[in-house]
Amino acid sequence: MDYPLFTPAIGGGILIAVISILHVVVSHFAVGGGIVLFALESLSIKNGRDPVFRNAARRGSRILILVSTVFGAISGVGIWFTIGVVQPAGTADLIRLFVWVWAIEWAFFLLEIVTALLYYSTWEKVSPRTHLLLIGLYAFSAYMSLVIIQGILSFMSTPGAWPRTGDVADAFFNPTYLPGLVLRSGVCLLLAGAYLMLAVLAEKDPAGRARLVRFLAAFESMGAALAAAGYFWWENALEPAMRLVFLGPKPLLPGLSATRNQMMMAGLLCLALALLALLAPRFQAWPAAVVSLLAGFAVLGGYERVREGSRKPYVVRPHVFSNGLHAREIDSINQRGILEKSRFARLETGRASPSATEAAATGRAVFRSQCAACHTIDGYLGIRKLTKGADTETLNMILTLMKGDGEGRKKLLKGEEAPLDYPLMPPFVGTDSEQDALAQYLVSLQEVRDAR
Amino acid sequence: MPVETVPAESVFPVPGAPAVVHALWLLTFFLHLVFVNSVVGGSLLGGLSTLVSGRGWKVAELFVELNSWAISLAITFGVAPLLFVQLLYGRFFYTASALLPWIWLGMLLMMAAAYYLNYIAKFRFAAGKGAALAVWGSALLFLGVTAIQVAVNLLHLRPELWTSVATDPMAAFRYGEFRARFLHFVLAALIFAGILLAWISVRRPEKGLDPLALKARAAFGMRVALVATLFQIADGLWLLGAMPRQVLRLWMRQGVLEVLPLLLSIILSFGLLAFLVAAQDPMANPKRVRNALEFFGATMIVMVGMRHQLRNLYHEAAKAADPVQSRAEWGGFLLFALTFALCLGLTICAVVRSVKDRPPEGEPVA
Repeated sequence: MDYPLFTPAIGGGILIAVISILHVVVSHFAVGGGIVLFALESLSIKNGRDPVFRNAARRGSRILILVSTVFGAISGVGIWFTIGVVQPAGTADLIRLFVWVWAIEWAFFLLEIVTALLYYSTWEKVSPRTHLLLIGLYAFSAYMSLVIIQGILSFMSTPGAWPRTGDVADAFFNPTYLPGLVLRSGVCLLLAGAYLMLAVLAEKDPAGRARLVRFLAAFESMGAALAAAGYFWWENALEPAMRLVFLGPKPLLPGLSATRNQMMMAGLLCLALALLALLAPRFQAWPAAVVSLLAGFAVLGGYERVREGSRKPYVVRPHVFSNGLHAREIDSINQRGILEKSRFARLETGRASPSATEAAATGRAVFRSQCAACHTIDGYLGIRKLTKGADTETLNMILTLMKGDGEGRKKLLKGEEAPLDYPLMPPFVGTDSEQDALAQYLVSLQEVRDAR
Repeated sequence: MPVETVPAESVFPVPGAPAVVHALWLLTFFLHLVFVNSVVGGSLLGGLSTLVSGRGWKVAELFVELNSWAISLAITFGVAPLLFVQLLYGRFFYTASALLPWIWLGMLLMMAAAYYLNYIAKFRFAAGKGAALAVWGSALLFLGVTAIQVAVNLLHLRPELWTSVATDPMAAFRYGEFRARFLHFVLAALIFAGILLAWISVRRPEKGLDPLALKARAAFGMRVALVATLFQIADGLWLLGAMPRQVLRLWMRQGVLEVLPLLLSIILSFGLLAFLVAAQDPMANPKRVRNALEFFGATMIVMVGMRHQLRNLYHEAAKAADPVQSRAEWGGFLLFALTFALCLGLTICAVVRSVKDRPPEGEPVA
């Protein structure tokens, strides 16, 4: 709210989701890939430098270097950049809380990148033992990165005892930390098996190819089973209010519930294809491998969407909302006004079209500061469509109820129960005149459409 | 009058002694810059060499190989300073990047494209093919990345520019101070890459390269470094002139100790210039090449420190330098220090073993 408003046409949340999903499908492969390559090379050495396994590891190392150290590293920084411009307030708080945790992750990241580069560049140069050590160190550091980052990701949804104790250890080892870690570990193995399956299908020797397919299919099946176990554990570890968002006969977000079901189907498909490859490795072909990889993406992407969606309307439950509002600021903003805080939005009132009334210009600034983080005008969660037919009075009534939710949000911050009229929305904050200006602005959007 | 648009501080204090955070920041930023100089300067030098010598000197090949490591390490060592700038100056940094959101995010695409072009060039060179287009493409993209970084850095220093950039984001690239800073950055990278090229040619040349070509490319490196240093000294004066008067006034009013880095950087620049002039025939003066590299390293250390020192003066000049609340959390820091020592030890061990382990002929290799 204090920051310049960045509201892309697709919605800030979607932008974060796109970049995050691009990153996680690569980073999970990078973690699982290390483990699988370590196993491949160990078996190659154990079997008297088995050329089939060795060549597969070598092909895999090129994918790892191009995908992990280049795209993985840049998209990882990309998530940081994106959340920094879309949700700076929440990001600033997370950095302050977890700076040493992030610094620890960076130490592992350094080891991970250097060993990945060394592993790739020392084929046919060093002894097999040294080479195995390199991929072993890579696998260890990459997995430790996951172990660390999982604490921060799960904290955002389930802060556990942290709101009461303020202890970073409580924040890190929160209720969904372990379930999420099990799930992600499974996805890492699943994706590594699926990616490398495409690489090993290039093996010319049919018997060797069948051995490799069976080997990778074992990782895929284990991964799918582990991911499923982790997912159900994760669902059980959620607060009841979060489960209501996407579970039960009448979920608050039916779309999220559908995503969950699609994710389950994708997981089943992954498992079925992996078992098929395990039982009949000679029949494995690239279309099945591609479908398996895409289904793996769907599992991970689906989980990320459900995880993010179930956290609504918070960035960090129950502390920071998705529009950058801190729950502890509710009273003070209601007194001094949202535009007193949101100074970049206030700057925009001077740039409203000349025909706009003063109230509509103020209302637009209020909309930009409080609503635009999630709602576009006509695109994703388009506000024009959502408020269609509503007059100023109706909108004011809704906004009054939303403002009333502020009291409930303050109770939730203290760990108390509270009923809410709009459980998926941040409370409205601001003065009465700002509320009225917002209502007028929303009505004016309808008038613009009518004029067209 | 204080700048009104500076956002409120986070409600959480900085969980560490500020001095420790600043020290870590400076150290990691210095390492980041070493690799960035190799990436930006090396890719530019590689491109320039294709115009001067074609592929005869193998300058592009050398930097493409070096940069396949340096780019990764520049990113890795860039993550730590990025963490610390957010920790201590988050409200300035986030605002600066949010003022140029698409440009800032577009930088990621440019970085990824430049990195992949470097790999394309590497694979093409390995196959005995030319790659001038990929080398130039990579160099230009890295220049773009540099420009964006410099613009965001300038904006995070100068909140008084925020309102005008909020209405016109491209204004960030039109300030005289931006131009002087950008040039400063690029020239420094060229100086480093030039000396590095000469040093490698003199000390650790690749096998099978013609001695005459080696000599020519070492001289090319030193010549580029010399010319770039001359321009850098002029640009340094331009940068001083382009800085806000209020910042300069605050700086000069501080004690001798605070102005010392500026004097030191001027002395070091002229010292570097002297070594570069003396080593125009690098093969005959290998020690001078090393001295030049050492002087450049020392200048970088001073410049990194000075840049850090000036940040607070900029904020003070804009009346935006509120003290940051901190609460030392030694437990977390200790855990980090132990992990870092472990990971650094393992990294060094992996590097040393990879370099030293060369099985004798007949023994199995990986």
